[in-house]
Amino acid sequence: MAAFDLEEQEQIATLKAWWEKWGTLVTIVAVALALAVLGWRGWEWYKHKQASEASVIFATLVQAVEAKDAQKIREASGVISERYGATAYADMSALLAAQAQAAAGDRASAKTKLEWAATKGNDPLTRDLARLRLAAVLMDDKAYDAAVKQLEAKPAKPFAARYADLRGDALVAQGKPAEALIAYKEALALVSAENEQGPQAMKSVLELKVDALGGGK
Amino acid sequence: MFDAVRSNKRIVQVILALIAITFAFFGIESYLQFLGKDDYVAKVGRSKITAQELDQALREEQDRLRSQLGEAFDPSIMQRPELKRSVVDGLVNQRLLRLQLDSSGMRATPESLRQMIAGIPAFQEEGKFSQKRYEQMLAARGYSPDRFEAGLAQDLAQQQLIAGVGRSAIVPAAVVDRWLTLQDETREVSMWSLSAATYLPQVKLAADAAQKDYDANKARYETPEQVKVEYLVLSQDELGAQVSVSDDEIRKQYDADPKRYAAPEERRARHILIEAAKDAGADKRAAAKAKAEALHKQVVAKPDSFAVLAKANSQDPGSAANGGDLGFFARGAMVKPFEDAAFGLKVGQISAVVETDYGYHIIQLEEVRGGGVKSFDQVKGEIAVELKQSAAAKRYAEVADSFGNTVYEQPDSLKPAAEKYKLVLRQSDWIAKGGRGLPAPFNNEKVMAAVFSADSVKNSRNTEAIDLGNNSMVSLRVLEHKAAAIRPFAEVRAAIEQKLTVDEAIKLAAKDGEAQIAKLRKGEAVEAKFGQTGEVSRAKPGPLPLDALKAVFRTPVDKLPAFAGIEVPGQGYAVFKISKVTKPALAPNDPRRADLASQYGRLLAEEDLRAYVAALRDRYPVKLSKSAGDAKE
Repeated sequence: MAAFDLEEQEQIATLKAWWEKWGTLVTIVAVALALAVLGWRGWEWYKHKQASEASVIFATLVQAVEAKDAQKIREASGVISERYGATAYADMSALLAAQAQAAAGDRASAKTKLEWAATKGNDPLTRDLARLRLAAVLMDDKAYDAAVKQLEAKPAKPFAARYADLRGDALVAQGKPAEALIAYKEALALVSAENEQGPQAMKSVLELKVDALGGGK
Repeated sequence: MFDAVRSNKRIVQVILALIAITFAFFGIESYLQFLGKDDYVAKVGRSKITAQELDQALREEQDRLRSQLGEAFDPSIMQRPELKRSVVDGLVNQRLLRLQLDSSGMRATPESLRQMIAGIPAFQEEGKFSQKRYEQMLAARGYSPDRFEAGLAQDLAQQQLIAGVGRSAIVPAAVVDRWLTLQDETREVSMWSLSAATYLPQVKLAADAAQKDYDANKARYETPEQVKVEYLVLSQDELGAQVSVSDDEIRKQYDADPKRYAAPEERRARHILIEAAKDAGADKRAAAKAKAEALHKQVVAKPDSFAVLAKANSQDPGSAANGGDLGFFARGAMVKPFEDAAFGLKVGQISAVVETDYGYHIIQLEEVRGGGVKSFDQVKGEIAVELKQSAAAKRYAEVADSFGNTVYEQPDSLKPAAEKYKLVLRQSDWIAKGGRGLPAPFNNEKVMAAVFSADSVKNSRNTEAIDLGNNSMVSLRVLEHKAAAIRPFAEVRAAIEQKLTVDEAIKLAAKDGEAQIAKLRKGEAVEAKFGQTGEVSRAKPGPLPLDALKAVFRTPVDKLPAFAGIEVPGQGYAVFKISKVTKPALAPNDPRRADLASQYGRLLAEEDLRAYVAALRDRYPVKLSKSAGDAKE
């Protein structure tokens, strides 16, 4: 012990005193911190694992959609929604499978998928997309009121033009040209408000729709 | 400084402990990122796009454009701000998608990544993935496998996102039908054109109208700075014309290594194929083999009938019709057993039955060419060209420096250099500053900058020798110069007045036309001269230009006849009478439905994807730095 000089011995003494007073607290805080970080990492690891597994099944879904294999589409999208409902793949698979099913005429299945994605989907943006898809399926069911109702909800701004356009389509099909014209004009205004790199094709489609209802200048 | 450490030991220890903990839990990257430099082009959310990334993307864009446009590629477009902006936008969009993928946990699986890489033909050897080749190919392009795989994984995950967002649009049948109905609707129209010429006499221009227009639009009458130059091009080609090669030299080159001038051997053969896939059952293969053996006997007995038998029996769809003739092929073109057999035959000889992965072949060799050493006379021309080229390249390397010195040391004329190197002194026409699509060498930025520099323009000095690439360089001297100017009013006055008068006449025609339409709609008598009646539809506009077609179809037709009018630029005004509207019913099984649905679906998908990325901009705020902002100007 004599190896320490006076100054150092003094320092050791203060350090000991400090530790007596704060030691327990420091230990508790350090342990709590370590647990929190471990917990967080564990949660991340779990999410990563879920997503990786879902990714594999999503890849088979994409293949099934390309091959138009209704059975496989149902299986793959079913597994994803049952086991990996909290991953982004659940949203994507609902959208993708619903399109394939609607195209094959299975509107009931498509609707179930889209209703889930529109209300319980994991991301507000995919919920917006799902409502748009759902409205299109409802139109094919001739449930125009229900379709218009889906489209009256307010989506993220960049989707607003698509919503207004499809609402116009539903109203035309329902035989309400005056209301449809208002919707189309709203869509056209939204599309035209964007910069020059905006959607030219969409713009000319909307112009034609407006003109056809006698709303052009 | 160390005093501070000594007296605050505890604080320092705590800080060190914290740093150590950070490393332990979050790895060293997060710490380095935290210290990262502030050198960025754009910030997307909390991640940055660096200047290096932009440079890399610009280089890739340049390579892409160059390979797409070939000769027509003009390097100056890389300087355009629109281009830089679109590249920055592309990078930002990529980054937005990546952030979204990361935060939503979407990622490609290692298996799919492996599959993808193994499936790329460039990494394969004999149809199989080769690790060695993979590493070589990447190294040649300056990628490390880690970086390449990370990029590919990003692409794959991005494709998953795009599949979900951009391939899931649903097109209601009602929309498709409505669109087709609109396309099919026909309207019977006739046109009455009010020509501007008729209204010219009524136009009275104010005395100062032309002056006012000139003052307001001076930029329109600007002529850019122009020069006429003379120039000397020193190039390997030009020097090649001066070089002569003696027969002796050619002879020597040939004798040194005559084998160099051999052509690879090629053979022409016929074959009969009896198909039997590699994985077909043993029975099938045996049956095919028996059939092949039987045919073999026939052809050996009557070799002349090979072509006829091939035509009748060969199962190779590519050659059977030509009597089995495969044309000439070199080694390496055919599968190995086939090649061995074909190159082992003499002309006219017939092989035994040869087994390959495709089935069983019987081969007859028709012709052999190449292979032997070519005679001196055959390759004399070829060697002469080769020698000339290498002599010219050598000469170019020798004189390039001294050419540069000559034009620099005698800066007031290019003649000495022209005489010294026996080059043709060429003269250009007027060359405008900033002109596009100019002939060589004026399509080179360095050349244009040098020609319009103060020293060239004011003092008519030779430019320095400018390297044009491909072993050529040029020096230029300005002969005549015109400064940028605005053409004087007197010179353009007549043209301005002419234009203003026509514009005014068109306005009068339009005013009159609109008044006539109003009368026609009320049913009042109008002395109208409508021409021939014709049917048009949105899909088949006939002779109507797009503007007129739009005008005709946006006119309400609840009451017929209906009238529409439109200004015709430079001509006058046109009034359309719509006398009949037909809306054909769609056939229940109209075949256009499916096509239109997929076309319209693509349009919606594109729009959805665009909107999705735009929405991500709200989620991850995008901030462009000044250097990207330059591009916005």
